[in-house]
Amino acid sequence: MNTEERQLAEMLHRVTPEPPRRVTVEDVAFRLASEPGRKPRPGRGSLWNSVFRGGHGWTPVLAALSVFAIAGASAGIATVATSHHTRGGAPSDGTPPATATVSNSPSPTAPSQSPPPAGETLRVAGGMWGAKLINRNSFSQGSLTGSGDSLYAVEDGYLARIDPASGATLQTTRYSPPVFSRPVVVGNTVWVVWSYGGGEIVLRGYDARTLAQVASVPVPAAGGVSNLAQGVLTAGPDGKLYVAAGDSVATVDPAARQVTHRISLTAGRASSVAVSPDGSKLYVGVVPSTPSGSFRVLVYDVATGIQASSSQMPVGGAGNLVATDGGVWGTTGTGMSQWVWFAPGGDLTRSFRVSRGAGGGLSSVPVYSGGVVWVGGSHELICASPSTGRALARTSIPTDHSVVEYFDSATVLSSGHAYALYQDNAAHLAGVASLTPPAACSG
Amino acid sequence: MALTSVEVLPVDDRPSEPDGFREFVEARSSALLRSGWLLTGDWPSAEDLVQTALAAAWPRWASLTRQDAPELYVRKIMVNTFLRWRRRRWNGEVATGRLPDMQAYGDAFAQIDARQALIAALDRLPPRQRAVVVLRYFADQTETQTAAAMGCSVGAVKAHASKALARLRDAPGLAELMTGGVTS
Repeated sequence: MNTEERQLAEMLHRVTPEPPRRVTVEDVAFRLASEPGRKPRPGRGSLWNSVFRGGHGWTPVLAALSVFAIAGASAGIATVATSHHTRGGAPSDGTPPATATVSNSPSPTAPSQSPPPAGETLRVAGGMWGAKLINRNSFSQGSLTGSGDSLYAVEDGYLARIDPASGATLQTTRYSPPVFSRPVVVGNTVWVVWSYGGGEIVLRGYDARTLAQVASVPVPAAGGVSNLAQGVLTAGPDGKLYVAAGDSVATVDPAARQVTHRISLTAGRASSVAVSPDGSKLYVGVVPSTPSGSFRVLVYDVATGIQASSSQMPVGGAGNLVATDGGVWGTTGTGMSQWVWFAPGGDLTRSFRVSRGAGGGLSSVPVYSGGVVWVGGSHELICASPSTGRALARTSIPTDHSVVEYFDSATVLSSGHAYALYQDNAAHLAGVASLTPPAACSG
Repeated sequence: MALTSVEVLPVDDRPSEPDGFREFVEARSSALLRSGWLLTGDWPSAEDLVQTALAAAWPRWASLTRQDAPELYVRKIMVNTFLRWRRRRWNGEVATGRLPDMQAYGDAFAQIDARQALIAALDRLPPRQRAVVVLRYFADQTETQTAAAMGCSVGAVKAHASKALARLRDAPGLAELMTGGVTS
């Protein structure tokens, strides 16, 4: 080898990261057992996609089989279990589920850790932006949302309504999210992705105050669904719901409880969908069909369903789109890190990085709330201009004995108060924190 | 729609685990995955590539170990699977450049930038040039071994390597990486 070749070899060894997970004999045994004649397809069947945003963040929908795979190499059997989220017995006719509760304490399906009594809060993160922990249930990353005078968040096993004043969990109802998907509040209804599989996604609507089930809408879905936090479901300003799956985006009229339109994508598979604040544009993130293709954002005219533009970014996995009047926001990452970008006008060729985002496998999902875009993570918390993508104010998130603390999915209620999910692994603290951001974040 | 809660798949045709296979997988899967990452640019695809190759090696394991060449065989399957994917799906797209930074960040993001720059540079290469780079300069295979893995002549390997180096020379950010810079 000459000098240049040696430099290349040294650089390849130095820069190439260690894999986050190793292949096991059981992985190979499962592949041999379950798909003896299968032609390999990149990205399929990996359980990493929920963790590694550098991947495609995409889960096959076929027969709802592929969520959990257990290979029994030594036992000589291989078992594929369906997603527990699609288990039978759930009413689909609008009947409120038996587990919906109206009480001042968590239901039996909620974590055993009780929220602090009303008025009792805990100062966290060194008081960064006045951060106080008001509810100590460990909710799913990216799941906090709010509307009116209520906060909503998801924990594995239930959807919760939280009183922002006291932090108390007011209601819970049984809900196991099949994919990461933030609840969407439209009017008096909280919508979630209830299940996917068998060629359809089922949306469920819950009464925003009682969390009693009020709707169940099946949406035909050929292909697959994204497991990014804002991948599958979003709402337009007119209250219409948009569901991205496989190679199409369906529009659902929540009042009529039915699909009214469907846009077929020109290329790739949908990883995320967002609607502009004026309701005129639909942004669809699509992951490439090739192992090293590029992530694209397709922009559609909502009124006509015609694609208006397309641009691409040289990364394979990206998503979590949020649309503002200035453009579109999203996330991408490598390995265990994820960061947030902004693309003016929805043009990825003009995109730039907004935030360091999150490390350690945590998510950093942008949220448009209270007139600004909030970007959290494990490094800093930012409020940014929805027009320019520039930070209006930012603060560093401290570490606790070298362990990162974490803020995510900040949301602003009509009262003007801000809240975010919080996590401190060193102190074993997690929950909902109230924040007092600077005036620059007032939108 | 009613869904089956559990499905048991038949596995009668699966051969039993060969001797030494587990030890090989435990010892070498990390290196194989890193090669897969360089070939494909992402971990899920790398995992798929390695699993595919190991699944192909499983029924031939006794023969491969007798020839003392299991890793060469696994890497050969990986490269050929990668080339097959690219033959089927290659669309000639070339990365438009890196996501520009709004501001400089610390070492953690320099690492990420370095990895992105590396993958973006490798994306500029045609599949066979990329495979040669990974086998020769990362997997440390000889030109003869690389030629055997790719089913071509040693001369072709040399030509691919030369052209790849020329392309990588012009890749944004790669020259800095090759002369120092960020560690993984």
